[in-house]
Amino acid sequence: MFELLGAGLADMMQVKYLVPLFVGTLVGVVGGALPGITITMTVIVVLPFTFGLEPLQGLACMIGVYVGGETGGLITSCLLGIPGKPSAVATTFDGFPMARKGEPGRALWIGIWASIFGGLLGAIVLVAATGPLAQLALQFGPWEYFALFVLALSMVAGLVESSLLKGLLSGALGCVVTILGNDPVMGQPRLTLGIGWLEGGIPFLPVLIGVFAFAQIMSDVERFSRTPEAVNTAVNLVVSHAKVLAEILARPFLLLWSTFIGLVIGVLPAIGGSAANMLAYDQAKKFSKRPEKFGTGIPEGIIASEASNNANVAGSLVTIMAFGIPGDAVTAVMLGALTIHGIQSGPLFISQNAPLAYGMFAAYILAHPLVLILLFLGVRWVLRIVTVPKSILFPVVLVLCVVGAYALGNAMATVYVLLASGVFGYLMVKFGFPLAPFILGVILGDQIEINLVRSLMTDSDLWLFVTRPISALLLAMAVGSIVLSVWQHRRMQKRAATEGAADF
Amino acid sequence: MKLSKDGWAGLAVAAASLFLFWLTLGLKDNPLVPIGPGYYPRIVLGVTAAFALALLLWDALHPKPSPPRERLNYVLVLEMFAVFGLYVGALPYVGFRISTFFYIAATNALLDRPERGKGWLRVLAVALITTIVVYYAFERYLTVLLPRGRWTNF
Repeated sequence: MFELLGAGLADMMQVKYLVPLFVGTLVGVVGGALPGITITMTVIVVLPFTFGLEPLQGLACMIGVYVGGETGGLITSCLLGIPGKPSAVATTFDGFPMARKGEPGRALWIGIWASIFGGLLGAIVLVAATGPLAQLALQFGPWEYFALFVLALSMVAGLVESSLLKGLLSGALGCVVTILGNDPVMGQPRLTLGIGWLEGGIPFLPVLIGVFAFAQIMSDVERFSRTPEAVNTAVNLVVSHAKVLAEILARPFLLLWSTFIGLVIGVLPAIGGSAANMLAYDQAKKFSKRPEKFGTGIPEGIIASEASNNANVAGSLVTIMAFGIPGDAVTAVMLGALTIHGIQSGPLFISQNAPLAYGMFAAYILAHPLVLILLFLGVRWVLRIVTVPKSILFPVVLVLCVVGAYALGNAMATVYVLLASGVFGYLMVKFGFPLAPFILGVILGDQIEINLVRSLMTDSDLWLFVTRPISALLLAMAVGSIVLSVWQHRRMQKRAATEGAADF
Repeated sequence: MKLSKDGWAGLAVAAASLFLFWLTLGLKDNPLVPIGPGYYPRIVLGVTAAFALALLLWDALHPKPSPPRERLNYVLVLEMFAVFGLYVGALPYVGFRISTFFYIAATNALLDRPERGKGWLRVLAVALITTIVVYYAFERYLTVLLPRGRWTNF
């Protein structure tokens, strides 16, 4: 393992890989810092640029975007009080008050260093756990894969903040997208509604790009203001790094626990850093001896939020590399990039593509010092870039989405899918449907069908799904996750009702 | 019975999935495989319809007070979608370069209306530079062929 990692690091130090990684990291930092531009959108914008690259170059670039974006998001959170991305919301709670108290440099660098520590601690788990988990998954038959994908869908549907029913319906709608087009066994056309290009099925990348890009951009357009944010780029960011490091390292439990939370949330499919940073912040407050100080500008709040959201990246990479299930929307785009290059993700990924897999680990590790260098040199420039008007940014992003969709098959059909998905994604947001289960359904729907068919072709006995131990365990966990979320939802409703009564 | 957004969404999804379910009944089974092409779609569409009907029922039985209305600019959203739809529609006929130039200019002008000549100059400059940069980056350096126009051959 260490030999392969060493080789991966040596590969990644070559100019041809280091340049895309550096560019990706830079774009990620900027995209993460831009309020209203999420990391998913940044990686979607970068995607078409990776088509002409080698697989590892493209993936290194995307990993750079991911790591850079997670760290870049804290810049505006701390200095402007506007989270650059959802996974930096909790950073704002203490980062901005600290900056307002006259310590913007301290707030910023505590966040940056905590991100680096969280990310690198996550790297240890990423490298150590991915291989063994993939080995475990290699023992799976179609029954277990079917159960695993059903578990992933039910967990995502259950973990979304809105209603469980909407989460489940959203996941089911994602699966509906995958049944349009030829059936995967005999290639017989089905549900094509007379549309010729639907016979090949609907590729998931234009759906993902359309849903996320339009949902985000149009939600911003609804509240669009022509007056740009006033940004003070002349803030004093000078700080003693030794002191900042001492502040972080004096809280080892907080750092480790927040990293652990980030990793676990990352491993869970399609949840993402927005949940990780809030949960880590909440946990830090609960464990703190001075919880009343949270929100007033204390380092604990920044450390918890930033360590967890960067560790979350490592967790997401574990899930996609070991099981082929995206940990969030960014890794879903990476999955699409792998597919474009003809690489099959899943448990065989590491054993069949060891140099690529260890190259990805190396890219993830090296992205952290690159972020550090970039921010040492150019935090102030990033603050300037934040002032780019959205009236310019939005059309450019949408044009790049069109290019990305078109380049998938050099056909307009994928662009039409992009447009239809965009409208559908926006409507989903307006009707309060969560997007994550939908996207996971679109990605896993095919796999669920293929494994169901394979299992029934091997043995038509449906009882095997519940008599094979791993499959039974996974299906029981799927049911358990739904029961648990129903219970949690009821408890929250009761609590809300009690609090409401107390208010009167 | 007054339905909220949830109820209407449930109704629409249930209707669509039941229609598709009905279409799957016309799919012929293949003697070579134990399950036909309609087997899995029927499960998915059945489950979708069940969830959608449950949402409809839940909404009908547990009416929620309508949330306070936020003042949102839906007209701008509609205009954005319309311009994007025109762009996508024009792409195969006038080609990437011409349609992208007009799309960026139109969207930029829509979001930040230029009031004087200088503003229009900015809009046109942004559209021109972006189109040229994107075109050259993809066609020349990343070997991604962008659409040519059927009418313009450009």
